[in-house]
Amino acid sequence: MFLSRIVLRDLNSIDSPASMASSKKVVTRDEWERKLRDVKIRKEDMNRLVMNFLVTEGFVDAADKFRIESGTQPEIDLATITDRMEVKRAVQSGNVQEAIEKINDLNPTILDTNPQLYFHLQQQKLIELIRVGKINEALEFAQEELAPRGEENQTFLEEIEKTVALLVFEDVKNCPYGELLDVSQRLKTASEVNAAILTSQSHEKDPKLPSLLKMLKWTQNQLDEKAAYPRINDFTTDALEDPSI
Amino acid sequence: MPATPSGGGARPEEASPAPPASTSSASSCMGTRPEELTARLAAAGAGPAPGAVPGCGGAGAGAGGEEVEHERVRALREIKNQIIGNRTKKLLYLRLGAVPSVVAALAEPGASPAALVQAAAAAGSFACGVEDGARAVLAAGAVEHLTRLLAHTDEKVVDASARALRMIYQSRLAPKFDVNSGKNMDFVLSLLDSENENVTELAAAIISHSCESSAEQLSLCSAGVPQKLVSLFGGSMNLRDACLGSVTAVIRNNRDVASRFASMDHGKGFRSVVGLIHDRSPRTRLLACLCLIALGHASPCHFQDKQIKTKLIMVLLELIEEPGHVGDEAPLALTTLIKDSFELQKQALTTNAVEKLSNHLLANPLETRRAVTILLALSELCSKLEESRSQLMSVEVSTLLLEALKHDWADIRIAACSCLKNISRSPKVLSGGRLSCDTVIGPLVQLLNDSSTSVQVSALGAICNIAVNLTPRKSVLLHSGVVSQLVQLSKSMDAMLRLKSVWALRNIMFLLSPKDKDFIVKELTLSTLSSLICDSEHFVQEQTLALVHNLVDGYVDSANYVIGEDGMVMDAIARQLNNASAPGVCIQGMYVLANIAAGNELNKEAVMNVLLPHRADRIKPSFVVNFLQSKDKQLRVATLWCLLNLIYPKCETSSGRVIRLQNAGVILQVKSMINDPCLDCKLRVRMVLEHCVDNADDCFISGKRKSVRFRSNICPEQWNMGTIFGSGKRKKSLSHERLGGGGALMMQGRGTLVETGESEDIGRHFGSIRITEPAVELA
Repeated sequence: MFLSRIVLRDLNSIDSPASMASSKKVVTRDEWERKLRDVKIRKEDMNRLVMNFLVTEGFVDAADKFRIESGTQPEIDLATITDRMEVKRAVQSGNVQEAIEKINDLNPTILDTNPQLYFHLQQQKLIELIRVGKINEALEFAQEELAPRGEENQTFLEEIEKTVALLVFEDVKNCPYGELLDVSQRLKTASEVNAAILTSQSHEKDPKLPSLLKMLKWTQNQLDEKAAYPRINDFTTDALEDPSI
Repeated sequence: MPATPSGGGARPEEASPAPPASTSSASSCMGTRPEELTARLAAAGAGPAPGAVPGCGGAGAGAGGEEVEHERVRALREIKNQIIGNRTKKLLYLRLGAVPSVVAALAEPGASPAALVQAAAAAGSFACGVEDGARAVLAAGAVEHLTRLLAHTDEKVVDASARALRMIYQSRLAPKFDVNSGKNMDFVLSLLDSENENVTELAAAIISHSCESSAEQLSLCSAGVPQKLVSLFGGSMNLRDACLGSVTAVIRNNRDVASRFASMDHGKGFRSVVGLIHDRSPRTRLLACLCLIALGHASPCHFQDKQIKTKLIMVLLELIEEPGHVGDEAPLALTTLIKDSFELQKQALTTNAVEKLSNHLLANPLETRRAVTILLALSELCSKLEESRSQLMSVEVSTLLLEALKHDWADIRIAACSCLKNISRSPKVLSGGRLSCDTVIGPLVQLLNDSSTSVQVSALGAICNIAVNLTPRKSVLLHSGVVSQLVQLSKSMDAMLRLKSVWALRNIMFLLSPKDKDFIVKELTLSTLSSLICDSEHFVQEQTLALVHNLVDGYVDSANYVIGEDGMVMDAIARQLNNASAPGVCIQGMYVLANIAAGNELNKEAVMNVLLPHRADRIKPSFVVNFLQSKDKQLRVATLWCLLNLIYPKCETSSGRVIRLQNAGVILQVKSMINDPCLDCKLRVRMVLEHCVDNADDCFISGKRKSVRFRSNICPEQWNMGTIFGSGKRKKSLSHERLGGGGALMMQGRGTLVETGESEDIGRHFGSIRITEPAVELA
């Protein structure tokens, strides 16, 4: 990515009407790879990026191992990560009440100051009850806990309706709002919880690696308008694809 | 889905929906119903109780203190977990009287750290977001206990107590913390020095809360609190944000403290804050902007740097794109920054603020806080700049504004009216296109009936300004039914509604045809007019008199409204003038009298009777003399005009009036004003004296006499941008007279402009002079 930015910069400086009017500049693979080799990146920076990712996403063991093997210091105390990960795990396995209690043990102000998160946790609780077929309990819970949320805050009403609608269907998995029962919903809630805890601990809730990838994509898009060059189209393989001429 | 009363429907022994709580000794059937928990907690608090707690068999009598403590911790924890985030449950437990037991647990001498932690968390949660909860927690004496617990050996107890106290101090009902007391100040300083970030955040919350008076702000400043707060900027993100907020609270509206802060440590503190407007965290950026804005308002001289102001505008415009609370509040910060500042509004315009904000507005649904704040920001951007107004009036935004006027949310309606009010300060923006006076007036009139007073006030403001711009095509307004609505509102209990409705009527009345004037007066009725002149609020009195002023402008007959019908209105005016009312009231009153005095003999006599009533007691000098001695030059000028019109044109009755005025000491007073510092006054003084001489001499220099009429005009904020409607001439209003004939004769004041007749006589200005300034006022 740094290379593409350098090329962009070079191109901008040759900005003469003539070259603009003509077709894009072409960079051959050899040239490209040569320039790539000239770009220097520090290993420490890479390590910190990796550590930042592991720690933000909560991979405690991996982070610890990485710390030992690379000597990179984690920016958060790994002990606090453990608490956070237990909460995340509880949500991901559908034990919402346990998650709530753990969050409150960690920091009782989080759910009091995050009405949306609290609502989503309760919504998840209802979903879990519906999933295991405890319909009576689900109904009672919806009346006692979700309805008041809707009264307290009108913006939740639509989601409450969707969730409660699940109770109506025999075959919940295939009903219109069936995606709520998907694991992805749990993951969504878990991610929200993770972010809230990180914020309460004064940490940035997003790892830096995705931002870098976004920048890479953007830079390539920008460069596409001015040059034909070996692009990375698959970020997982990092394969350079030759420019189509 | 209807909410059922909590606790209803479930049988106590049914397993709770939650998975079983942490395993503990006897009570596997520990209920989680609030009533039981509250009872259990109270029981545990009262010590090991012999009685069985309902619903639970095992534990109870015979169990040792440890078991009771265990019970208590469990009960507290359960209550805590039920109430956190849950307003409904908090209210329920409040009603059940759980709070005293919870707080009592904090006071318990032998309480275990576990119990203290749970109790503190529960107490803090009760105080969070629920006023009654905060009240109950305070009443139970929680603050004292929690403060004491800040010194506890167990770090978790300290954490929990600090968090709870912070919740309490952030609530609206937070108790007063007197920083003027040395002991208290030392306490706060010690908190700021703590290693524990929860404790320092608490300190920041207490400081923010204790900045009500400038004395408190000064105490905090003198104790070095701002420096400490700045030094904590290097801490964690949350701490830094809390400290930024506290610094803002300390300097807000306090010039002394603000300037001290700016120069503190050679400006280090100031530079730190400036640096933070580029911080990674959006919330920090917003708070830093708010801090600088507060600094700029409190101590403008320290904030001259144009670069910083431009940066602030840019940063805020970027922040509007942030999700959540930050993006919602950024437009408000922008509004505060540019409020009343032509320079900054211009700056914002050059950075495409109007376009950017409009795009945001169009991209998001209206029923959001963000839409409200963006509309308010757009409104402020249009408050002084014509170009902003034109830019705003794209087809899409116009359509949106019309929609917004009918929206469900009152705040959106208010914000839309505010936009319209400021847009209609422009004479031409509303003259055509999707959004014109015609399309807008209907919805606005509807809003005059709105259930919310704020909406009504807001709509009135817009109508005030639209009325100005409709001159001379006022039929649109008159046919919209607005007059009867305005008349209705002029009788409201709410003073602001009375004020604004009268204001709107005043603006409508300007330059109206006699027929239309009559229509309005008939709707309003003279008795309502009279009572409004004697309203309890002086600003209402003033607007009403301005309305009358416009009423009697232009046609001799219109004076009959004032003098006729037993002179009800005249009496009211006389009463106000005699009652040492507010200057604005007196000025308008004198304008009315001056205009009436420009009429026929009957009119002049009527005015004389007000100025110099036939009274037995001559002890009290006429208010005329007082007015002439006023420090307010507008009042002096207005009174002089009135006198001028009374003694002109020369005739027998005029001479008679001169003599009466002389006898009352008025002429003497005028003579003493020959060197009045105000040029306008000086000129009128000379004119009066010349007329007196003329009346006495029975000779006057003949010259072409022409009626010189003064008309006032709409005035946008900068009154050197004069506009003329109707006649097509355009003249800039000047701040000085041009003595001598020809051309324009100007009067000082807001937006006064003159259509000239030919006035050739050098140094002498004759003619029937009516004053109509200021006839209209922009809301």
